[in-house]
Amino acid sequence: MAEPAPDAGPAAATHSLVWRGARDALALPAWVVGFALVGVGSLAQGVGYPLGATMLSTLLIWAGPAQVVFFGSLAAGVALPLIAAAICLSSIRFLPMTIALMPLLRRPGQGLLAQIAIAHYIAVTVWVESLRRLPSMPAQERLPYYLGFANACILTTTALTGVGWFLSGTLPAPLASGLLFITPVYFTIALAAGARTAVDVTAIVLGFLLAPLFGHLVGRDFDLLFTGLVGGTIAYLAGRARRRRKA
Amino acid sequence: MSGIEAIVGAGLAPYLALIVFGFLPSEVWRVLGVFLSRGLDENAEILVFVRAVATTLLAAVVAKLLVFPSGALVLVPLWARLGAILFGLGAFFLARRSMIAGVVAGEVFLVAAATFAIETP
Repeated sequence: MAEPAPDAGPAAATHSLVWRGARDALALPAWVVGFALVGVGSLAQGVGYPLGATMLSTLLIWAGPAQVVFFGSLAAGVALPLIAAAICLSSIRFLPMTIALMPLLRRPGQGLLAQIAIAHYIAVTVWVESLRRLPSMPAQERLPYYLGFANACILTTTALTGVGWFLSGTLPAPLASGLLFITPVYFTIALAAGARTAVDVTAIVLGFLLAPLFGHLVGRDFDLLFTGLVGGTIAYLAGRARRRRKA
Repeated sequence: MSGIEAIVGAGLAPYLALIVFGFLPSEVWRVLGVFLSRGLDENAEILVFVRAVATTLLAAVVAKLLVFPSGALVLVPLWARLGAILFGLGAFFLARRSMIAGVVAGEVFLVAAATFAIETP
């Protein structure tokens, strides 16, 4: 952008916001998600996937669990269309996550392709941290900060996915399981850190309890869909009833 | 021919397979989210509901990773996986909500339990 937006006013310069976002990401979140995907790189090397395509999987899919499904299913000899269906079901969380985050980042005059590019960065780390940091920032400062933060996360993680590819087979089993464990432990703590309302807490507890239950009731393909809709609705209604009582 | 070539082929085929069967089925949700969120104000009531669904889904993903693990995590018993999560959460709150303390504590617990479980089956 050659000219500042008309409403930029005295806001901080764009490049300094980008750097601030990148710096905040590199303080911890980028490394956590990066090390979480070292295991994905190792897994991909183990099934014989080339280094370039392995790193590209992080840039493009940008979802640890989906990447584990992709390479893990290939290793198990699952047919490609079935893998695509499993990935589609496992990534369903991106729909509500994107709907919840985009209104914070949308600016007047933003094209559709730009919005799709912005939404591509959405993954747990970026989402949790953005929902925590963006609402209190002036609207025109959010996007550059977000892009700095998100790009630092995705580039660090792409590099570490490549490191994992080279490390494949050299890691002792306890360390390899430790790397795979980063995703669940970080998701849990990020959720706890991001929980501010009773709705958040109810949603987290219901998600934990309902997922294994629906896993048994409806099978492991549609369990996430059911858990999200049932648990999310209960959490929302409980929160609304609470607000009404207070009002 | 290795197993992988039998499924996705060699050369550019792994890249194509990645895009068609990995990237597109996942990305479709983000793109759909862009369309469905058009015109929504950041304070819209529906976003409270959408955030509740997203938060539930994230917790559900964690629960699935813990209860139905894959890869090297299979070698770690369920009690150790759940214990490590609780240990990490405890450390997070005790260390005045330090995320790094929580993640490190959970990891130390899991790797220690994994070492114990794998070497003394």
